[in-house]
Amino acid sequence: MDKTNPDNSGEFFDQFLDDYYAECDEHLVSIRRALVLLEDDIGAAAIDRPLLDGLFRSFHTLKGISGMVGLTAAEQLAHHLESYLRELREGTLVLSEPGFEALAAGVSSLQAVINARRQDQPIPSVDEVADRLQTVSSAPVSSAPQTPETPESDVSITRWLVEFTPTAELAERGVNVNSVRARLQELGQLTQAKPVVKGAGEIAFEFIVATGADETALASLKADGLTFKPAPVEPATRTREAQVVPTIAPASVVRVDLDRLDDLLRIIGELVISRTRLEDQLAELKRATPATVWRPLQETSQNISRQLKHLRESVMRVRLVQIGETFERMTFVVRDLARESGKKIIVQLSGGQTEIDKYLVERIMDPLMHLVRNAVSHGFERVAEREAQGKRSEGLLSLSAMTAGEKIIIKIADDGRGIDRNVVLERAKAKGLSYGDAAVNDSALLDLICSPGFSTRDQADRESGRGVGMDVVKRALEDLGGHLSMTTKVGEGTAFTIELPLTLAIAEALIVSVNGQRFAVPQSAVREVLEIESASTKMLENNEIISYRGRPLPLLRLARVFEMDSQRGAAFHVLVIGEDSNAVGLAVDRILGQREIVVRAIKDPLAQTKGIAGATELGDQRVVLILDIGALRQFALKSRH
Amino acid sequence: MEPFILFELAGTTYGVRSSFVQQIEMIEDVATVPNAHPAVEGVALVRGQVIPAMNLRTRFGFERIQHDLRSRLVVINTGNRVVGLVVDTAREFIKIPADAIEPPPEALTGLSGRYLEGIASIGERMILILNLDAVLDLEYTPEAAVEQT
Amino acid sequence: MNNILVVDDSPTMRRMVITSLGSLRRVKSTQAGSGLEAIERLAIEPVDLMVLDLNMPDMHGMEVIDFVRSHHAYRNIPIVVLTTKGEEASRTQALDAGANRYLTKPFDPRQLADVVGSLLKVS
Repeated sequence: MDKTNPDNSGEFFDQFLDDYYAECDEHLVSIRRALVLLEDDIGAAAIDRPLLDGLFRSFHTLKGISGMVGLTAAEQLAHHLESYLRELREGTLVLSEPGFEALAAGVSSLQAVINARRQDQPIPSVDEVADRLQTVSSAPVSSAPQTPETPESDVSITRWLVEFTPTAELAERGVNVNSVRARLQELGQLTQAKPVVKGAGEIAFEFIVATGADETALASLKADGLTFKPAPVEPATRTREAQVVPTIAPASVVRVDLDRLDDLLRIIGELVISRTRLEDQLAELKRATPATVWRPLQETSQNISRQLKHLRESVMRVRLVQIGETFERMTFVVRDLARESGKKIIVQLSGGQTEIDKYLVERIMDPLMHLVRNAVSHGFERVAEREAQGKRSEGLLSLSAMTAGEKIIIKIADDGRGIDRNVVLERAKAKGLSYGDAAVNDSALLDLICSPGFSTRDQADRESGRGVGMDVVKRALEDLGGHLSMTTKVGEGTAFTIELPLTLAIAEALIVSVNGQRFAVPQSAVREVLEIESASTKMLENNEIISYRGRPLPLLRLARVFEMDSQRGAAFHVLVIGEDSNAVGLAVDRILGQREIVVRAIKDPLAQTKGIAGATELGDQRVVLILDIGALRQFALKSRH
Repeated sequence: MEPFILFELAGTTYGVRSSFVQQIEMIEDVATVPNAHPAVEGVALVRGQVIPAMNLRTRFGFERIQHDLRSRLVVINTGNRVVGLVVDTAREFIKIPADAIEPPPEALTGLSGRYLEGIASIGERMILILNLDAVLDLEYTPEAAVEQT
Repeated sequence: MNNILVVDDSPTMRRMVITSLGSLRRVKSTQAGSGLEAIERLAIEPVDLMVLDLNMPDMHGMEVIDFVRSHHAYRNIPIVVLTTKGEEASRTQALDAGANRYLTKPFDPRQLADVVGSLLKVS
């Protein structure tokens, strides 16, 4: 184990371990991001200065705090990483391939050491990596000293000199040097931020910002005591290279325990239920109350509803993180795996700014990693094989994310071998998983690959395209309320699409009645609501259909799916779900209304059933089941064939 | 001496260790779950959690009766699962000494024999001690029923 | 009541410093995450001592020392500088520029408290 500080001060600082881990996490995220950018600069004469500065400072800080908590292995690594970065910054070294590899290895090792301490595992040795870093740091590769990149001047951009004088009153209002700087950075590029002393000794700050915005945008600054004028033409020469960069961790950021956010959301959920109850009670009151009294009450109730919605959205936003961080971690894994297997793979990321709930992102990490590993190990061919097929020698792995309504859609696609369904079918037969000889489409192929009997750890799996653990992946995603689908073509590649619900806890829902029982239908799944007369339905082969926008829309009677008696009245309601050729109409007796519901999962297998996604309560303590539209839609499509 | 909760079902007294009983409720609204096992009446909302309500009469093969004011939902928490059991009545709370519990005789036939951990004799009374794991375990898969329609 | 300004871009480090100073009496702390913030604090409230990290974004700790020592109102504020291993050159530079003391990270919390305490008594 690592040494503690003399005089037991290491133990004194143990109380800061949580803060330490949290800060390490933050720094490691930005370090990884920087390394991805840095890889493009291998061999370059001049590297983006802020990039190097950021990396240098991160390693420097990690060195400091690791030393304080007594994690000497991390302190040592950070120290070597910092030294290498110092050489790069000062221009005494050019970034070489072995240099970059050593950096990447150093970062991986640093992460491993911190994780080991976190999980109370023995700390791995860092000597080998430290040696590598020292070797590349002292390699005498000289180059021309780096010139800092100056932004190209654009005629339409003006440089302004903005002066800010801080006072206690302004600080109380939230106007301080950080907030001013942030505002100016929104306006344009900040090239200077320095303190100055005015005539009588007061302290002020001078900023130079280059912006295309006109004076009116700057005029709002006056209200906070800022003055501005066109900046002098000569950019101020800086004696010390202190370029203005956005600060990594401004002092106005708070770290929040995920548990506390969950508590907040639960309380909000209870508020939603109470308000719904209020609404019901107000409705009852309406009959016996004069309008002048009742209407303001109703308005207040609606205001509360609106405010609750904003509150919930704000809290949910706190839990949201950008999926780009996860993607970047996967990029690292791909690089390592590709190198190990002698393949060349380029990773293309898009939609990294897509926000996803932190709860979800932690739980999809493993399934995503699994799919990515499979792609690298089984999907991509080696360079020679690719070139023989006329493909580019580097394989392309694309990771993308986007939101669609209340879902987040993540796609992992490769341009590798694709999955050969004949091989899969043979393997399935050999394992006794009969699938008949019916045409096997991609969806059925995925089902096969994900069936528990299919995945084992033998050589034959390599040919079959996907190997170990697909059943685990599918189940993990379904547990989160998500859905996995796949398309593949032999010789061209495979794409996996993951759909996940964006918000976990609260949803808008339509409340419907089927055979006297109430159900909730997530609003996001419903495209349209129709009122249909029973007489207007027709039969097409074995399917009941109605005419919808000039096309036949097959109906799915919920009463039938749930094996209930159905009372066919003169009219009924249809909820249109799905799109175009996949559209289906869910037939219910009546639509009772629309509500915001708190979604509760049904955890016990005794009560789980296909077609039901969860349960909720509408304020009267009576449980209402929530329909699983995805499953119902699949059921409808299946029963059509 | 261990504390037990007792409840009645079709004239017979059953007992479960009170450490497994989270709470006992009146039968309020139970929402029917479609295509569930016939012994599962539906789900109920208990302490913010949605739990299954299993009708023990059906489970043990007895004739089902209408709920009345004495019917109770005994909420069992085994640590892994939380399930409610619908019983005729549940009022008693007694301590049973370990040596009063005997293993169920092999000759005991009928469904309910499978679910017993033992039988306690307290004076003239016979209390059937339930094996909760067996009671809560169903091999039935609800998905199969939907596939058949 | 003495006001100690703790300047470091790492929130964890700031907290560690403040906790180390917890044993001192009649002392309160203020935090700044950068050199600019630190100077803003000086402008807004009375500061009796600064604990300063050298390597910070935007404005290096050395520039902060230069600025503070060149201003007549703040010239005499005691400054304790925190350096890391391998920064020996910076240490002497900092002392030359006007820092009163330095401590190397990882530092002993009691030592920090002693140094700060004694500097406060003298001024």
